[in-house]
Amino acid sequence: MSSFFSYIVQGTAITIGVTLVALPFGLVLGLLMALVHTYGGKILNRSAAAYSLLLRGVPPIVLLFILYFILSGRVVNLSPFWAGSLSLGIVSSAYQMEILRGALLAVGGGQMTAARAIGMSRLQSIRHIVLPQALRLAIPPWSNEASIVLKDSSLVYALGVPEILRRAQQLSATTQQPFLAYGTAALIYFVLVFATNRALDYLSERTKLPTHP
Amino acid sequence: MKRILVVIAMLVAASLVLSACGGGAAANRLEAIKEAGVIKVGTSADYPPFESVDASGNKVGFDIELMAEIAERLGVKLEWVDMPFDSLIAAVQEGKIDASISAFNYTEERDQMIDFTDAYYNSEDAFTVAENFAGTIANPEDVAAYKVGVQNGTTQDTWLTENLVANGTLPEENLFRYDRVDQAMLDLQNGRIEVLMSDHVPAQALAKQLGGLKIVYHGVLGANGPMNIVIPDGDAELQQAINEIIKQLQDEGFIEGLAVKYFAE
Repeated sequence: MSSFFSYIVQGTAITIGVTLVALPFGLVLGLLMALVHTYGGKILNRSAAAYSLLLRGVPPIVLLFILYFILSGRVVNLSPFWAGSLSLGIVSSAYQMEILRGALLAVGGGQMTAARAIGMSRLQSIRHIVLPQALRLAIPPWSNEASIVLKDSSLVYALGVPEILRRAQQLSATTQQPFLAYGTAALIYFVLVFATNRALDYLSERTKLPTHP
Repeated sequence: MKRILVVIAMLVAASLVLSACGGGAAANRLEAIKEAGVIKVGTSADYPPFESVDASGNKVGFDIELMAEIAERLGVKLEWVDMPFDSLIAAVQEGKIDASISAFNYTEERDQMIDFTDAYYNSEDAFTVAENFAGTIANPEDVAAYKVGVQNGTTQDTWLTENLVANGTLPEENLFRYDRVDQAMLDLQNGRIEVLMSDHVPAQALAKQLGGLKIVYHGVLGANGPMNIVIPDGDAELQQAINEIIKQLQDEGFIEGLAVKYFAE
């Protein structure tokens, strides 16, 4: 019975690994697209909007299949782990872009105007005035996206990456005890999501500005 | 801007050329497998007794042991790739794996996208009775008139329960569920049950072994039917090599032995 649990628990490292690739990758890409959408010219603005619309409209599993079965091996060579993690990161970047765009807009145009008025360049204003405020505002909705990506990471099992849920499925078939197997998986996911959200709450609390109660 | 476009176009062209030559030396997939010394085989390890994992994560089952023997005879190492059943055909089609064994049945739709080897096992149901059995079983449904034995939780158990017990033709108390088919065979010999429903191949083997038993009917009721290994479309050499090994394993009784081990014990 103990090896039963340890077999499922071993999938945790893979689940965390996929999330640790997908989330930061999505953050960098999403932040870039959010900035482009907010401060870019007409063409950049439109392309960023199209990017977000397209990616949020396609089921993640379809992107996974495209990247692994169609592109990988022809254009680039990706292992199932990387193909899966990067696809999830790309999907997540569209959602993170919208979160960050909302935060940028929430900071308001006045801050930008004021920064420019004291002689900062546009880039300086974004870097030193707008972004520090926007990123703080983005933490609570971003923690939502973090738990979604953590749970969506189970999709990589479609490519044969043996993460938590796939292992639970196998043991459910072997032992005929689906409640035990899926219950174990649910417990691990809960602990991971709980820990992530508490950590982000703490970060949000620690970095709070006196001007934003 | 124009210069950047030219550079991008050249990079794309270069990568296409590179990927085109990438395939390299081996003339066909069988050669490539032998050169690499390893065959990558996909399975969906959630379908016991054909393929599953034990508590320590090792793959076990009829297909697993059979494929290990096939790889051994091809003279290469076996690398398992576990995937959900739905992904297997796509993975074979795109050449991500060299073959897949996962209790696949032949269908025309599948055959258009990938190739099948010869059937390595024909999973049929059989009714075994004692040699002095006086009744008649013309149709499978006729067994409802007798005391029937079956292995607990098998496809035969499901067939009997859904088709005969559910509509009341076979009273629940006349259906005897056993942990192992060989135990049920002994009870059949002793007359505690009158008919035993089980997989055909192990039934033949056990009936011969125990004596005094005969098979009165066999066909596909709850069973899977013929099962084949799936390989990429057009890999004739690989197909032929595996077919030859399957033929050998059938002639040597290896597959029958596996069937007794996995479908009767």
